[in-house]
Amino acid sequence: MNALLEVDRVTRRFSGLTAVNDVSFTIGESEILGLIGPNGAGKTTLVSLISGTLEPSVGGIRFQGQALTGVPAYRRARLGIGRTFQIMQPFPGLSVLDNVAVGALFGHGGASGNLASARDKARSALEFVGLGKFISQRAESLGGPGRKRLELAKALAMQPTLLLCDEVMAGLTPVEVDEVVALLRRVRDRGISVLVIEHVMKAIRELSDRLLVLHHGEKIADGKPDAVLSDTTVIEAYLGRRRS
Amino acid sequence: MKRLRPLAVAAGLVLLAGVPWYGSDVLVQFGINALLLAVLAQGWNIIGGFTGYPSFGNSVFYGLGSYGVAIVMVQWHGSFALGLAFGVALAVVFAFVLGAPILRLRGHYFAIATLGLAQVMAAIIANVPLAGQNIGLVLPPLNDDRMFYELALTLLIAATATVYWLTRSRFGFGLIAIRENEEGAAVMGVDTTRYKVLAFTLSGTFSALAGGIHAYWITFLDPESAFDISLNVKMIIMAVFGGAGTVFGPIVGALSLSGISELLSSEVTRVAGLFFGIVIVAAVVLMPRGLADLARRGRRAGWRYFIENIRANRL
Repeated sequence: MNALLEVDRVTRRFSGLTAVNDVSFTIGESEILGLIGPNGAGKTTLVSLISGTLEPSVGGIRFQGQALTGVPAYRRARLGIGRTFQIMQPFPGLSVLDNVAVGALFGHGGASGNLASARDKARSALEFVGLGKFISQRAESLGGPGRKRLELAKALAMQPTLLLCDEVMAGLTPVEVDEVVALLRRVRDRGISVLVIEHVMKAIRELSDRLLVLHHGEKIADGKPDAVLSDTTVIEAYLGRRRS
Repeated sequence: MKRLRPLAVAAGLVLLAGVPWYGSDVLVQFGINALLLAVLAQGWNIIGGFTGYPSFGNSVFYGLGSYGVAIVMVQWHGSFALGLAFGVALAVVFAFVLGAPILRLRGHYFAIATLGLAQVMAAIIANVPLAGQNIGLVLPPLNDDRMFYELALTLLIAATATVYWLTRSRFGFGLIAIRENEEGAAVMGVDTTRYKVLAFTLSGTFSALAGGIHAYWITFLDPESAFDISLNVKMIIMAVFGGAGTVFGPIVGALSLSGISELLSSEVTRVAGLFFGIVIVAAVVLMPRGLADLARRGRRAGWRYFIENIRANRL
């Protein structure tokens, strides 16, 4: 498996706080990597470092062999890195369709300025995530689960090669979680690598090919889901040390 | 209804274009003023309405356009067209040089930063001999209101066509995405800095052209009148009154408010300003999204539309 993304000893500090500390890992082609860790572990910061909303203080990130240092977020998007936000970031005033069309117009391979074809792409992305019925609604009229799917559709319309999902399942019912799991599997079947941040343990175990655990900004485990989840340091990070 | 729209627009255009032939001199003069204000409101709409950056710097572009025309015609004895081109060139340079740093600021900070620009420019121009310093410049008079009127109307059409293009182009979608959510736009591949600077430039270009036409029409300008910040306030009020971020809102806002203001100052001269203020306050409270939104949604909701707006703003 070739590495699509290589994160090499990345550190990010916010004045006194080290949010991500000396973290290295890779994501292979068509691989689903689960990223877990307690709240405040630095998961979202790590995703922001990859998507380019933040720059690492130390260390480098390579995508398809190309160094991303100093490459602004919009250009990373055009290289093929798509992202969803934990706190949903729709364009509230636009229709659901046009929200997604922005991704098709500007994302990876979206250099054509043709609005009609962008809307077609947007329509198929919305069908794919199951929002086909809501295309003419305003984005702000969607509820929580709908917005999660909208985030996903927006990122997918960019036709990324790497999709970063920041808690797309949080707040969903178990049935909806299963649907999103199936959805992300189908995304992977299209040849897209996926990085998933998730707290829903059952889903992440089912979904991930590999799991990465962050704790206080440091990588404490990286491997097969079952092995990682039975690792004592990981259990301690989540549940605390057993008093003896 | 939809099919009738192009027809209505065409009929409106013919009616507007014909004003100098059937209207009185006073109406034509009022028309030139109102049309130029509409151009300013429409130009502001690009940066303020579509991109979401409430610029108070558009009166700087207006001033630069005025001075471009004045300097070329008075000091260099060039043609009016050359003057307009020079004014636009000044505006473009200004937008590029100052746009990049200023557009890093968002919301109120951006507004405050641009608010200072007009004062600074007035102070600079007042010390430039080429621009007539404090005394100002007097342009060669041209008594042809018909020409000025049609010129202003043409410019308004061009500005409106540009805004219409924004609603259906990649560039326009990029601007709207920036307005709605700048960080979200960036991670979706919008080159936000470049787009903002281009929008600022485009917006400034129309302001500069309006300023140039106005300077030649009025035939006099000094730093104070050219870089008048209250003009900027006017364009914002007009754009917002009509509906910022829509194609026709700013035009409707500019023309109707110009009409109201004219009516008030001719009928009830001394307290006109007060009444104008009341109209603005009422508009902001009752229809904060402008006439365009009122036309779209008010029809169905009726008077409840106004109540909902009052509630939504917790006034």
